[in-house]
Formats: sequence, structure tokens, C-alpha cells
Amino acid sequence: MMLRYAAPPPGACLRDEAEGLTLLYHRASGQTHILIEPAPHILDALADAPMTEGELLATLAAAFEVNQAEAVGERLAELVAAGLVSTS
Amino acid sequence: MAENQDRPDGVANTDRRALMLGIAGASTVLTIKPALAQSTGSVLNCQIPVPDPGRTGMYIAADGMTVAANTPGSFPPAMRPFTGEQVKRALRGNTLPGTTYQQSQAYLNYIRRLQAGQSGFTCFASLQMPGR
Repeated sequence: MMLRYAAPPPGACLRDEAEGLTLLYHRASGQTHILIEPAPHILDALADAPMTEGELLATLAAAFEVNQAEAVGERLAELVAAGLVSTS
Repeated sequence: MAENQDRPDGVANTDRRALMLGIAGASTVLTIKPALAQSTGSVLNCQIPVPDPGRTGMYIAADGMTVAANTPGSFPPAMRPFTGEQVKRALRGNTLPGTTYQQSQAYLNYIRRLQAGQSGFTCFASLQMPGR
């Protein structure tokens, strides 16, 4: 079965933008994360609904000209490792 | 030179923003762990070994420096780590448990000299935070 990736539920994080960086404070863990592109866009896409890697790529491709699509798995792994994306 | 050149790879420019998913050798997420943002309970239960494990067996001079074993005027290592609560009380004038007044002062001087990276530093730093 394909893994589905999900962003934290609404209200789980405080978010701010500063000088091209996205700052996320994750309330549950008390950790602060500094994100650069494309991580914030991936979280935004996953916020609408949990999706597979392929579905995520399609969603991103609808909004952006996606380069190096093969690296999407690495980006997701980083977000999972940071505790910002969960899998099911 | 024309400003609106087509891209060298022959793909026409579009209005859509490019999104690079590949980041060579870099991470797109940096996490700051709340080393000092512990609850009051965990701060008071954290531990400070005297001296830290890297200097096991060394004695503690009155000024808090670690010195060779049996150096005159110095004190042997603490038998067990002190808790944040014990150190907090000692900083207010009590002696550390199981120590003489002079020994306690030497240990406290050692603890005050702790630097980032040494065992017990985070615990001691946490005790300095307002409200602890």
C-alpha cells in the first residue's frame, strides 16, 4: 500500500515568514523549525488532504514548474524526520 | 542583449514559478530543539556530574578548576551527580548533600565554570532562567 503523507492539523503550528525563511513553532513538541523552499510549499499542499508522493507531485506541478521531481521523496523524508509530516 | 531571452534549454518562459525539489547536499528543514525550554519539574530533576565524565577521577580545586587527583587543597570527585534541585538550593546558601561547606563551594565553583558541551551545562543554564 502506498504511504500517505499528512501535514499537522490546523492550529498545531505557529507560522511566520522572515526574509525568505518560514518559521514554524510546533506546539506539541515545543520545537521550532526553519524551513526553506520547497518545504513550506509541500506542507501547504499536504494541508488540504493527506496524499501519496505521486499525488503531491501532481498538486505541486499544478501550481509550479517543478524541477528535479525525483527528489520529492527526500524532501518528504526530511519533513517526516522533523515531525512535521506524518505517514499513514 | 535582449532581456526576454528564451531559456538556453529551449523551454519557453512561462508565468509559473519554478520550484526546485532537489537541494544538493542541503536540508530544507532545520530544527531548533528546546534544550532550555524544559518544564520546571524536569529542570529540577536534571543532573550535573562533578566533574563531567570526560574528566572522571580528577579532583576539584577550591576555585572550581579540575586538578590532578590528590592535589593538596582539592576535593575528590562527587560520588554521584547532583540534581538541579540540589544545586539550586546550594546556590541559595545550602551545602550540596554529602559535602562539607568548603567542598560544596568548590563544587559550585566548578558548576559555575561549566561551558556549552560539558555534561551538566544545560541543566545549570536552565537553573539560571527566570522563574526557576
